[in-house]
Amino acid sequence: MLAGLAWRNIWRQRYRTVLSLSSIALAAASTVFLLSLQLGVYGTMKENVLRLIDGFAQVQPPGYSDDPDLRKVIADPAAVMARLNAVAGVTATAPRAETYVILSYGSRSYAAAVIGVDPAHEAKVTTLGSSLTAGHALAAGDGDAVLVGAGLARNLKLKLGDKLTMLGAARDGSVAADLLTVKGIFSTGAAQLDRQLVEMPLARFQSDFAMGHSANVIAVSGHSLGAIQSQLSALQAVARRYGLVLRDWAALEPALNDVIMLDMSVGLLWYVSVIVIVVFIILNTLLMSVLERTREFGMLMAIGMRPSQIGRMVWIELVFLAGIGAVLGIALGAGFTLWLSRHGILFSGADALFKQWHMPSTLYPQLGWVSALAGPLAISLCIAVAGLVPYARVRRLEPVSAMRAV
Amino acid sequence: MTNVVANIVECRGVTKHYRQGAIDVPALRGIDLSIEKGDFASLAGPSGSGKTTLLNIIGGLDRPTQGSVKVDGEELTGLSGEALADLRLTKIGFVFQAYNLIPVLTAEENVEFILQLMGEAPAKRRARAREMLHEVALDGLENRRPARLSGGQQQRVAVARALASRPAIVLADEPTANLDSKTAEDLITLMSHLNQISGVTFLMATHDSRVIARTRRHIVITDGRIASDERRNSAG
Repeated sequence: MLAGLAWRNIWRQRYRTVLSLSSIALAAASTVFLLSLQLGVYGTMKENVLRLIDGFAQVQPPGYSDDPDLRKVIADPAAVMARLNAVAGVTATAPRAETYVILSYGSRSYAAAVIGVDPAHEAKVTTLGSSLTAGHALAAGDGDAVLVGAGLARNLKLKLGDKLTMLGAARDGSVAADLLTVKGIFSTGAAQLDRQLVEMPLARFQSDFAMGHSANVIAVSGHSLGAIQSQLSALQAVARRYGLVLRDWAALEPALNDVIMLDMSVGLLWYVSVIVIVVFIILNTLLMSVLERTREFGMLMAIGMRPSQIGRMVWIELVFLAGIGAVLGIALGAGFTLWLSRHGILFSGADALFKQWHMPSTLYPQLGWVSALAGPLAISLCIAVAGLVPYARVRRLEPVSAMRAV
Repeated sequence: MTNVVANIVECRGVTKHYRQGAIDVPALRGIDLSIEKGDFASLAGPSGSGKTTLLNIIGGLDRPTQGSVKVDGEELTGLSGEALADLRLTKIGFVFQAYNLIPVLTAEENVEFILQLMGEAPAKRRARAREMLHEVALDGLENRRPARLSGGQQQRVAVARALASRPAIVLADEPTANLDSKTAEDLITLMSHLNQISGVTFLMATHDSRVIARTRRHIVITDGRIASDERRNSAG
């Protein structure tokens, strides 16, 4: 009964209702689009950064992340990889060994981080090979080949084919020394990586550093980061089985996680501002409407309608407005976002900034349940809560004074 | 056991004072009044005499400053706003000068609305609404909204609405004030007829001499007091 009356009431002032619905729908649509864009950017940032070196997750010996000691190893990486590859959503795994060394060429020496990778597996997990500015990626069967970061190559004055000396401490405490040939030079865009990182074949690393067949970490990749995130518990179970630990993307890239959290906080402030403005516009419209209809409410009370029923009717009118506006907003926002998710948004002139996070200049919003519903639902909910103000005002009305209202 | 109440309304020592700034304005000064079941009564008096105030207090729309008001045996003073609304719904029908129909509902829905508030089943309330609109001679206009009805027709819908819940009393505040002579005559005849066939009690605050002439009881209120209370044998 109240719903039917409320529905008819909201169409009494069609122009005002259309304006109110437009305000809600536009606000809801903007939250759908902006949240989708935000999540799309985060997704691209995370995937691009993680695909460069880390992988979407890693299995490591306990305590390795705090103290990356060469002696903390995964004794049988092949067995662990076989188990990890069997988990749904995992498309590839790659074993790695890592340590710090001194690299020398001619009279110059620099400290560097060296990663031993299995070229066949690594290419399926990371994209470092596609960051090459000179030379070729590591391949199966490579012996003394090494990929060097552009910054490091510049510091050591290295070019393709040059031989550099690597000196470090092996797992058994002996001196690890080797002469490596520069096969490729990479530029990731991350200055620190390009100044410090070199990549060499895992077999050679294991031989140089007395590792046997062991590795320090296993990087895990999937069709998407989301696919791996949804399988964290299964991956954790595999890691635990071998006495190892699983580190997800946030643990691998805490700085990126912090940047995203900060940006989300700023975004949240913006969303809250939009919601507050829309709620005030709608509340103001409704309070005006309540004021205009005071005499009518007095009449309804006179014929036996309880003040609480009238208050509920007014509240239902608001809920109708909020609901219809939110549905329209979702449709509008989702349609626009879907179109842009196919065509992308080109941010020309922001290349340098985007490259820092390994991002392309064209960004694609990512429409999902959360981005489609969170904003519109929040707006509807806030309007419904704000509707308690006119509800309370109507409940306080006295029939005689209400009927005398002009 | 059914409690038979001879007096539908009993007012005892009813006073009402309004505050206008620092001034206390008395509107009713100790009203003692009984309205019997089946009365067809008019309440007249000059403007500001207190007749609308008295009608509002009897109808549970306003509260007396002092005194006791009973409608159909139920004491109104002390009832909450919600309880007063329930009492108005079940025991009192209102007819206003400005009709006060719900603009978004049709004539039939306006009548049905009261029964809907009372929780009547849809089929039952629709039948009752049709019956009441037939009683007030509005057959064929059931689906018209108030904006598409004349003043007289709107007031007939208001009468049908007031009677739909089978109230103990119908309170009418200047029911003919907005109507032309012919329509006003028709409305008085209608209300008189309904009073006679259904025995429903009417109390009408009015200036209209035609209404006064047709009532069987005429109460005059002056300066917040009952000045005269005249009973006649039959209405014309």
